[in-house]
Amino acid sequence: MAEVEETLKRIQSQNGVQGIIIVNTEGIPIKTTLDNASTVQYAGLIHQLVMKARSTVRDIDPQNDLTFLRVRSKKNEIMIAPDKDYFLIVIQNPSD
Amino acid sequence: RLTDQTGFYLLVFQRGCQTRVVHSAEAEVQTVLATISCTQTEPQYQTKEPLFQQNHDESEPPGLKDFLQRAEDTVIRELIRNAKSHAFDEFQVNWEDHSQLVSCLHCLQHPGAQERDLHVTSVSWSCTGSVIACAYGRIDDGDWSTERSCVCTWNLDRRGLNPKQADLVIDVPTAVTALCCHPNQPALIAGGLYSGEVVVWDTSRTPDPLLVQTGMSADSHKEPVYQVAWVPLQKKGEFGVLSASSGGRVLLWMVDLDQGRLVLNAAYALVPQQVPHRSNTSFKARGSSSTVGITSLALSPWDSDTFLVGSEGGLLLRCSFNSQMTAAVSFEGQSVTLKAPAVFPFRPCSGPVHSIHCSPFHRNLFVSAGTDGLAHLHSLLQANPLLSLRVSDSYVFQVQWSPTRPLVFAAATGQGDVQIFDLGHRSLRPSATIEQGGVDQAATCLAFNCQNTHLLAVGKTDGTVGVWQLSHDLTEQRHRESSQLEQIANQVAE
Repeated sequence: MAEVEETLKRIQSQNGVQGIIIVNTEGIPIKTTLDNASTVQYAGLIHQLVMKARSTVRDIDPQNDLTFLRVRSKKNEIMIAPDKDYFLIVIQNPSD
Repeated sequence: RLTDQTGFYLLVFQRGCQTRVVHSAEAEVQTVLATISCTQTEPQYQTKEPLFQQNHDESEPPGLKDFLQRAEDTVIRELIRNAKSHAFDEFQVNWEDHSQLVSCLHCLQHPGAQERDLHVTSVSWSCTGSVIACAYGRIDDGDWSTERSCVCTWNLDRRGLNPKQADLVIDVPTAVTALCCHPNQPALIAGGLYSGEVVVWDTSRTPDPLLVQTGMSADSHKEPVYQVAWVPLQKKGEFGVLSASSGGRVLLWMVDLDQGRLVLNAAYALVPQQVPHRSNTSFKARGSSSTVGITSLALSPWDSDTFLVGSEGGLLLRCSFNSQMTAAVSFEGQSVTLKAPAVFPFRPCSGPVHSIHCSPFHRNLFVSAGTDGLAHLHSLLQANPLLSLRVSDSYVFQVQWSPTRPLVFAAATGQGDVQIFDLGHRSLRPSATIEQGGVDQAATCLAFNCQNTHLLAVGKTDGTVGVWQLSHDLTEQRHRESSQLEQIANQVAE
């Protein structure tokens, strides 16, 4: 458990990181550095987005698969590392 | 018992019954042998298991550690690369048709008010953003006026919108000097009148929209109410009405629907002797006048205890709702003890302060304007203004921050134009000017629409309300605007 916390701390210490959320395959957040309301919002919305992105990639080429997803907006960038059981969501404001 | 005339016979019936024979038997026993035995549990040895610092989960979710080991390097590499990347510098996306121009969408008039030469004294958008409420009265009256006026509402999203005919006209017995729509309930509008009364209208009620009013009781103001605002109360979801008048009092009213009136909840009075002032500014308490006439009021969206007050004499004060100091003046028949709310004085202006507005993007910033033609940008933490911008050569009647761009605010001037300033620009000149009609018609009030953020309503002394559509660069937040605002707020004023 301590290793999990250590890893999250290392990620959080990167430049401009505003928040980290780990979500399981059902879209339920299991670890977060943000407040509850934001976490629930991000978890639900991003889970759907990742599923859609993954099916898009696989529909185009069934041998291919999604490895990483980045959503860039005016105010920040959301990075998502997907996996079989969990997603890692990191929100970064690169100009900070 | 037997009487003479009528005979009473007491009849007694008796019944008996009997069961069959009940069988019973008796027997005795006696122990021959006796033995005793008992049991006892032993105290369990308390095993000292190391207690993990668990947050919410019983045990670590399976595979989480492995997943993070796999993902960590990739993610950190991307984060570092992203922080250093210039790939998206100055990259902007066109999602909508950008209007480059500021244009007038509607010019709303109420012929009944225009015939009587009434000025528009206040405009307010409803919480849904579709309805604009306009209050009529006069801004130049020095005498007691008994002229009737009105409040008109137009629903701009309706198909049959007629700019010359209001959807709803509420008749009011005197001039309306302040107006504020309820932040949650679109039908409620609070108004302050020239006579000192505070009223709440419910536009969904017909035929009479008047919901509650203060009436001319001992508690109510006796001078014109220049500002009303809805204030969130202790209980979540409930709002009270805060009113400020030139009689020197700020009163907090609760809506009591059972009694059909506004009930005084808290009262504050500003008295010259209790106004904190800085030692290097001489403050002349005016003769026998016992209170400081209040001409503007602003609530802080960040701190529910703070409110700002501007006075006729140019004073600008930060006040506290929870002040415990009792005011040094009393009004007959006041049902609630008056408190002295002033906490901190800002540098006074040289004329009445007509308008104050707290920034929705920074907790310490607010802008104020008055008859000196300047807009002062203040920090709550410093007495001197951070910046003073020359808005106009005549009075400035209202200033308001933009709800979408942290660095932008608009000011309505006595020369009839609305100047919009962008603090991100190097120069101190306005970035846009909205003018309509003659120079002799002052723009008395303005309101940004918080739902449809490209709309701005401007009321003028010729009785018209212009609804303007702002250009894209006045409404779309720029890159790093919040940090620029933060830099401005952290400056130290000379």
